[in-house]
Amino acid sequence: MPKHVAIILDGNRRWANKRGLRVSEGHEAGARRLLEHVMDCFAMGINTISLFAFSTENWGRPDGEVNFLMAMFEKNFKSEMAYYDRYKVKISVIGRRTNMPESLLGLIQEVEEATKSYKEKHLIMAIDYSGRFDILQACKSLAEKTKNGLIQVEDIDERMIDKELMTSCSEYPNPDLLIRTSGEQRISNFFLWQSAYTELYFPNVLWPDFGEAEYLKALTWYQQRQRRFGRRV
Amino acid sequence: MDFNDPMLALSSWIGQIGDFGLGLLWRFIHIVVTLCHIVSGIFEAVESYAISLGLIQKYSSIDIEKLKCLAVVVDIEAARDVSKVVELLEWLTTIGVKQVGLFDSQGLLKKSKDMILEMVPRSVLLQETGEKDTSGIALEFISSSDNKEAVVKAANILFQKYLKSRHPGKDEEGENVFTESHLNEALRVVGESVHVPDLLLVYGPVRSHLGFPAWRLRYTEIVHMGSLKYMRYGSLLKAIHKFTGVRQNYGKSFILHHYISNTRSIHTLYRLKLLSLD
Repeated sequence: MPKHVAIILDGNRRWANKRGLRVSEGHEAGARRLLEHVMDCFAMGINTISLFAFSTENWGRPDGEVNFLMAMFEKNFKSEMAYYDRYKVKISVIGRRTNMPESLLGLIQEVEEATKSYKEKHLIMAIDYSGRFDILQACKSLAEKTKNGLIQVEDIDERMIDKELMTSCSEYPNPDLLIRTSGEQRISNFFLWQSAYTELYFPNVLWPDFGEAEYLKALTWYQQRQRRFGRRV
Repeated sequence: MDFNDPMLALSSWIGQIGDFGLGLLWRFIHIVVTLCHIVSGIFEAVESYAISLGLIQKYSSIDIEKLKCLAVVVDIEAARDVSKVVELLEWLTTIGVKQVGLFDSQGLLKKSKDMILEMVPRSVLLQETGEKDTSGIALEFISSSDNKEAVVKAANILFQKYLKSRHPGKDEEGENVFTESHLNEALRVVGESVHVPDLLLVYGPVRSHLGFPAWRLRYTEIVHMGSLKYMRYGSLLKAIHKFTGVRQNYGKSFILHHYISNTRSIHTLYRLKLLSLD
């Protein structure tokens, strides 16, 4: 079983358009699927789940849609706090926090603080996340440490950058399996550095339709792959 | 006699049967999925053959202008067979692809660079063409050292700027040092390309980009092509055709794309090439 599964939740809007529904209803259906999926994953023994909920580029969407999504994140954090606590799920939110509404920021801090001691299950929500920004902020963090005399420039290598990435909050920072729903075959600036040897699975299913059966297919597909991490067999 | 002992034994026995049953079910699911893959593989092979023969009309023309930069990732086992790589490049030249980045994690293709350039007609090194359009195919040879190691080298340039600066986080002009454009510039200084491939074809058993330079993969379409040894022209054509039909939103609202019509008959060119080899 993979230790860390990352998912790009794509297809909410198309799902809504197909059914003649509003985009917001597509996002709501996606949010319901999210909790079901998280429960399925942890039940199957996955340790870490990362969800690409909102990319930095998504700020370019219509204001109404963006505001709706931010409100939805808030609502879901509030309603699911009891679940995370009951099932001892550690929550981490990665991404830039500078543009988020204050109320959402406060809630994120609360949830992270309340669940920080849990170790067995880890849910990472990527909100306003960009893979390139992740690399840059890691570099900046190292630069500050160098300036403060904590490390030498000559000592900086790939492993040091690994430790400064936002995914360093996880015991398993590099995903074993990355699923992007809706049939699009790109990672769209998600986990660029972390996904060098990640198995990429691009099912042609919209996110709200990605149920347990689809997830089982992804896992069996993953188990059939031969991973070599760039080495010879 | 303790009533609990038989009950414990019974529940343990039921548990073992349950585990065994679940194991069997999981294996059954694997078999079903494997059969689906086999059937799908056979279908793809037949379709690929039909595409190669020009029997499927929609693949007979491709708007190649949309594919500015193609990258090919090759598993290290496959990278040892340079002849297959050369054959692939010849197919890509036929299709009209102008720029190809060839990647394998160990740099085997880099070591065979001269041989490949000699064997692929009208091929040149990308670094030698600059931004100029060529009549042939411009090749770039990439390995893992161009990935994270290169970013570290480029980051060192930014670190030096940052350390010399009086303003925290900014350079002498007060501008933030750690931006995408600065890192792009620093990557160029250390000799790295920052061309973002539009399409990445992965040849090998694993559906992963195997360490292709992460910085360049932001919006790249990634298609797994299977084994290089058993590569098929029809599958290549299909992958490129599918790419040219893709609409990217780049995370924003839907944007209408206007395609420049510059199609060519791919099958005519391929057939002419086959005839010339006889």
